[in-house]
Amino acid sequence: MTAVLGVVPGAAAADTQPLLDVSGIVAGFGAHAVLHGVDMAVRDGEIAGIFGLNGAGKSVTLKVVAGLVPAWSGGITLGVHDITGASAERRVALGIGNVPQGKQVFTELTVEQNLRLGAYQLRRRERQRYQPLLERVYERFPVLYARRDQAAGTMSGGEQASLSVARALMSEPRLLLIDEPSAGLAPKIVEELFGTLAALNRDGLTIVLVEQNVTFGMQLVHTAHLLRQGRVVYSGDTAHLDRDRVARELGIGRLLQRGGGQATPSTPPGDRT
Amino acid sequence: MITALVVGLVQGGTFALIALGLVLCYRGTRVLNFAQAEIGAASLFIAWIVVGAWHKPYWMGALAAIVFAVLVGLTFERLIVRPMAAASRLTVAVGTIGLFGFLVAAEAYLNGPTPRFLPPPIRGSIDIAGVAVSYTQLLTFGVIALIAGGLTAFLRRTDFGLGVLASAQDATAARLVGIPQAAVSMFTWGVASALSALAALLIAPTITYFGPNAIGPQLFIGGLASALLGGLTSLSGAIAGGLVVGVLASEATQIAPNGVAGIYTVVLFAIVVGVLLIRPQGLLGRAPARAESA
Amino acid sequence: MSTLQVADTSVQPAAAPPDAQPAPSRRGPLLTPRRSNVILVLLGAILLPTLTYRAMPLLPSTYPLALAVSTSLAVGALSLNLLVGYAGQISLGHGALLGVGAYAAGIVTSGAGWPMWIALPVAAAISGLIALVIGFPALRLRGLYLAIVTISFGFMMYNFVLQWSGFTGGSSGVNLVRRLWGGDVLTAQSDMLAAGLVVLVLAWLLDSNVTRSKLGRAFRAIRESEPVAGSFGIDVARYKLLAFVLSGALAGVAGALYGFTLYLVNSETFNPPVGLDFSLLLLIIVVVGGLGSRAGAVIAAFVFEMFEFLIGDRFGTSSFIYGIFPMLGSLLLMFTVAHHPDGFAGVVRERRGHRRRKLAAAAADESEHPMPVLPSMPRPAEATRTLDLAGGVPLLDVEGVSMRFGGLVAVDGASLTVNRGEIVGLIGPNGAGKTTLFNCISGLLRPDAGRVRMGGRDISTLSAHERAALGLSRTFQQIGLAKDQSILENMLLAQHVLAGYGSSSALVYTGRVARSEEQMRARALEAITALGFGGREDVPVRLLSGGQQRIVEVACALLTDPDLLMLDEPSAGMAPVMAESLADRLRDLRDSMGRTVLLIEHNVPLVLDVCDRVYVLTAGRVLAGGTPEEILAHPEVINAYLGEAVA
Repeated sequence: MTAVLGVVPGAAAADTQPLLDVSGIVAGFGAHAVLHGVDMAVRDGEIAGIFGLNGAGKSVTLKVVAGLVPAWSGGITLGVHDITGASAERRVALGIGNVPQGKQVFTELTVEQNLRLGAYQLRRRERQRYQPLLERVYERFPVLYARRDQAAGTMSGGEQASLSVARALMSEPRLLLIDEPSAGLAPKIVEELFGTLAALNRDGLTIVLVEQNVTFGMQLVHTAHLLRQGRVVYSGDTAHLDRDRVARELGIGRLLQRGGGQATPSTPPGDRT
Repeated sequence: MITALVVGLVQGGTFALIALGLVLCYRGTRVLNFAQAEIGAASLFIAWIVVGAWHKPYWMGALAAIVFAVLVGLTFERLIVRPMAAASRLTVAVGTIGLFGFLVAAEAYLNGPTPRFLPPPIRGSIDIAGVAVSYTQLLTFGVIALIAGGLTAFLRRTDFGLGVLASAQDATAARLVGIPQAAVSMFTWGVASALSALAALLIAPTITYFGPNAIGPQLFIGGLASALLGGLTSLSGAIAGGLVVGVLASEATQIAPNGVAGIYTVVLFAIVVGVLLIRPQGLLGRAPARAESA
Repeated sequence: MSTLQVADTSVQPAAAPPDAQPAPSRRGPLLTPRRSNVILVLLGAILLPTLTYRAMPLLPSTYPLALAVSTSLAVGALSLNLLVGYAGQISLGHGALLGVGAYAAGIVTSGAGWPMWIALPVAAAISGLIALVIGFPALRLRGLYLAIVTISFGFMMYNFVLQWSGFTGGSSGVNLVRRLWGGDVLTAQSDMLAAGLVVLVLAWLLDSNVTRSKLGRAFRAIRESEPVAGSFGIDVARYKLLAFVLSGALAGVAGALYGFTLYLVNSETFNPPVGLDFSLLLLIIVVVGGLGSRAGAVIAAFVFEMFEFLIGDRFGTSSFIYGIFPMLGSLLLMFTVAHHPDGFAGVVRERRGHRRRKLAAAAADESEHPMPVLPSMPRPAEATRTLDLAGGVPLLDVEGVSMRFGGLVAVDGASLTVNRGEIVGLIGPNGAGKTTLFNCISGLLRPDAGRVRMGGRDISTLSAHERAALGLSRTFQQIGLAKDQSILENMLLAQHVLAGYGSSSALVYTGRVARSEEQMRARALEAITALGFGGREDVPVRLLSGGQQRIVEVACALLTDPDLLMLDEPSAGMAPVMAESLADRLRDLRDSMGRTVLLIEHNVPLVLDVCDRVYVLTAGRVLAGGTPEEILAHPEVINAYLGEAVA
């Protein structure tokens, strides 16, 4: 793995028991199924990425794991817990943190109120852990500390993204689900964000992210899962990736032929001026 | 003129209570509760049974009324609102119309056409600036101030209250952060129902006798006008709107020529329609996002 | 916003495709709309009244009254169903419209002394006019707000206007005289029942003509999605107002009928102090019967009224009518809305829908196939093209368009041109403003600045449907079809601008209407067969796969023979096999069919492969524009966007 973006993701633990095990998930909206049997295993301590074309079902998969979209059949386990039928709130209590698509911070509340709400379940269980946690989060995100009494909606896109991540961290999650973190953000900000995510992962946080920007995403994740029409058609360790397969799957293949047929990355984003 | 002002303020205060309930329901669950006032009106009959028929003290009747209202609201929330979480908000609003119809019919069936009378909680009045203000009217102001302050403090300061506010802004994000939506929904409807009962209790002395379907519709329209005027999403707007609407309608009735029946109601409706057509976000609400022209 | 539509929560995993036979061909031409109309008229004018006279003496003497009341309720239910069920416009004050009709009929017959058959049209006209007044707020308000306005209107009518003693007789009310002609007056209730049934049959006729013509289609499209309706060339505002007027007119007739049955209307007739308010009663009937179902509305009206009458008659107590019956009705409304939002008609439809689902399961299997060749559907000769293209003028010229939403600038001074016979691509990262720009071009949004010209003509102030009529067709990211309707329905909708008849002809279903419908239907079936959907034209679009929906959508866009075809992410949701063939199909459009295409795409290789020119949009601004080679070599473009696709 090249150290692109100045990021060196933490090495994944070689556990046998996955932290998150998704098997045979069929789900959709109304009468129309979008996922036709999704199988995915995420190891404890790794960063897993879900990629695919628009409409493949990437976000839906994440929403099913988060508990927003019910699974019609199949199962999901988090560690030792079977969370298939659990409500979204319960999954947060069990250790899932969410950074939804579009960040979705509570725009009319202050930064600190947002963070406090992120710790909603935590404060009910162990109130005394809240203050130290808040301070640690402020250390990691000094911008948020500076704006802690500011309404979240007045912040820039990048700051809101940081807030969304920080808010999710306030529940002390074991697993972080992130939906399209780079959407709507300038490349520089995305770089910083991904750096933060890599650092969090080094500290032991397991991350599953859906990313549209394949190149950026591939630099960050350990394992890539390719989704097509509601099924995982390929899963691979990014260190030993079948790049041709991936390129073809994502519709990049033809471009490579047109541009001269390079199968390896050309100038990585971080190194361009 | 001044008397009309005081009367208007008191009535406006009750409108404000209904408006608060409307805004709570709308912000919390995105439902416009057409039965918002009727829940309170129906609970008045319970109060009458306790005070008028069983001759218990007033406070017991009031308590019974509030408890009844909360039970109705929570039952409706559990049986109708929650199963319809995925339905369009308009569909659920139609459901509340059903609740309205049911309550009115129940009042008619169980009570019959006889109008009832609920004695005021406190009798007597004092003289302020040459105008007789009854203790009940003062009580109304007190109650509203208490509720407004208490509710605001609860929502802003406590975890759960913040959760209610957050759920109102973005229900999905609230779920993803671990805020229990069922509890928020129950809180919203329970409090709104209690506010409805309070409003009915406070307005009862001014109308003396009440029969089935007597106070509900007008109280609702007044509350609706107030909520719309204040912007359907603003709690403080609801209160301010209530006072403005109450005074406006009261003064208009004073000024209008005699013989034109129902001018009070007309003013209320005019406010409703006017707000919707001219400035749907009310005076205090945020401007809506630019709508598509199609 | 759609009224009273709910997400279908039925839980069904995708079924394995059975060996499905294509559905048997559509019913033969035996029961054409015009023939069934004639049959209905015969039924109504002759058969029903005869049956009535035969049957009434066999029943207790109170039945004719109850049935006559039911009949007027049924007409009222049809009127509300037309507005709420077909057009999706909520109206909670409909009882007031009935009241207006009743009063109008009363004043005409007792005041002016005219016969009933003049009173009915007068009632229709006045109620229709008042409904038109309510219709105007409906143009700007939707859903909940419209509901509030209509409720307010209803109460205002009850509490204020209808109380105006001088005008309406206040609580003593107005008499209605059942004068037929000359001095003859209908005295027997069974006579009134017969008259009412005739009117009901005529109302049913009108209703079915509406649903079978472009009127009904337009209403259904508006109910489902106004932007989609507009993109099909439907003047949404005009049709909404039309729905209000038609509904109001029918309501006026219903009210007049009711008034004639009771001989008298006063301020409490339609809004009794106890018992069900008419607006609420009609709402219950229509919702429980099934929104959008003619039969459901009529049957429910009869069932409700006869139930109330029979049980009340048996128990003889008014407390039933004023207490238990309204309670039951309200409970039923709540239950229906919560658990069976489509009412009884919906339940019936569900059971009959199983066959369709099997067809759809077979349909969904074909997503692995390439995209079929799109049929070229030239306009029928009668439909003239309105856009005259001078040589050398770009077909589309967008200049300096800007669009903000509150504080967010979505599009910032974007300019682009599309020449005749080109395929032009628009690419950029998510959130760059591509779809917003599309919306500004197609007329869905009015930009804050800039101009849009088509063939040299400034179309900046034209609405979406007007631009569609000029030859601009577009597709939507999320598939711009009426998804609850069948493939055939959508193809007919797409030809809306080609229907050669007006609304008043539609109501009567003249021969011209029949011919036009037949022509459009033939064209649609031709396209459907060419696309490989033969035999499955009745399948609701919602049940097709994403790729298939896209095929139907593009085919619909081509049905009006547009000059400019705007495609928003056509490959989204397509299997790779189909997406690959998309490039070939796009080339077909340009080379064999001579169309001009502007497309948004995320599939950058596709764009670079197929497009003559490409524009790159980032953060609302056009970053660059040129041939694919120029774009590939553009350093800023690579930096800001292409890096994502260059693995």
